[in-house]
Amino acid sequence: MAKRNTAQGPLTPAVLHILLALSTEERHGYGIMKQVEADSKGAVKMGPGTLYGSIARMMEAGLVRESGKRVAVGMGDERRIYYTLTGAGRAALEAELARYRGVVAVAAGRLAYGG
Amino acid sequence: MAGDWASGRYRAWYAGLLRLYPRPFRVRFGEAMAQTFGDLCREQRGVAWMLPVFCETFAGMIRENMMYMPDLGRTMVRVALGALVALMAPLVGSRVVPGWNWPVKAFVLVYVLFFLTGMAYALISRRMGAWSYKAGVGVALVAGFAFGWSNMVHTSESDNPANLLYFSVLAVGCVGAWLARLRAGGLAWTLFAMVATLGVVAVMVPSGAPPYHERNAVGHVAYAVLFGVAGLLFRHANRAAGPAAP
Repeated sequence: MAKRNTAQGPLTPAVLHILLALSTEERHGYGIMKQVEADSKGAVKMGPGTLYGSIARMMEAGLVRESGKRVAVGMGDERRIYYTLTGAGRAALEAELARYRGVVAVAAGRLAYGG
Repeated sequence: MAGDWASGRYRAWYAGLLRLYPRPFRVRFGEAMAQTFGDLCREQRGVAWMLPVFCETFAGMIRENMMYMPDLGRTMVRVALGALVALMAPLVGSRVVPGWNWPVKAFVLVYVLFFLTGMAYALISRRMGAWSYKAGVGVALVAGFAFGWSNMVHTSESDNPANLLYFSVLAVGCVGAWLARLRAGGLAWTLFAMVATLGVVAVMVPSGAPPYHERNAVGHVAYAVLFGVAGLLFRHANRAAGPAAP
């Protein structure tokens, strides 16, 4: 899986959603889960097994990294590990979005032609 | 929001599931996963949400274990070949020993059992580098396999269902190994508990007709010694590793 999740793409859905969730700010695991749920309007609900398995592979591929451990506001006194995008992660996200735009353009052309 | 008591219990179950992840993954992400589960416990209502989370984490645990075993395929091939070599013993035996007429399915069953026992050894013994742990796993598995097989044969020959009680020795071993999470210290106690269970069952169940008694007594002593030796090996491994034992 790690080989697929590089700037060459395509990315797995879980990886794409995590990259998207981290594209605006660094987040801890639960924060990523909630952001993915919000981004997908509840369609994607990621559990801890998928989330941390994907993060492990993304760290191995250099797409994300840990950015520190600290207490999250309003979530008790437990210190949480935060994750952030790396340059390679941002590049992979941009490449994937460009690929999506290309697919959408082709699909739109086909549908227009077919219609 | 789940009550504190129930929430604590769910977290304990989840922590138990996380222990099945490969050690490097658990060390790196275990705490964060437990925190995330705790966050879900605070947020969610009822218990219906929990089953999918447990299933999803269980699937993740299997996936991570597979990934942390890049040589699993090679191990399986080696064990499959080893089981084939071991199968030669009953194959040759059935040719030379009069009255040994196993059907083909019996050989298939024995091969599968050899393979599963070999895989169990390969997967469990890698949890610790200590020679005594590996030796303990080997002795315990071989003794357990032989005990289960001979008991199965004896039960079918004697037509005495009371002999099924002997399988409680293996049940104690399985439950103990699970509770001990395969740690050397816990496995030592498990093997000693198996010896004690065997002793109790041997006293409770006079096996079969009188001609059987002498043979059974020898068998009981032999298995008790083997289980006891395995227990001592695990205890040695536990003491050698000290607090760092897995």
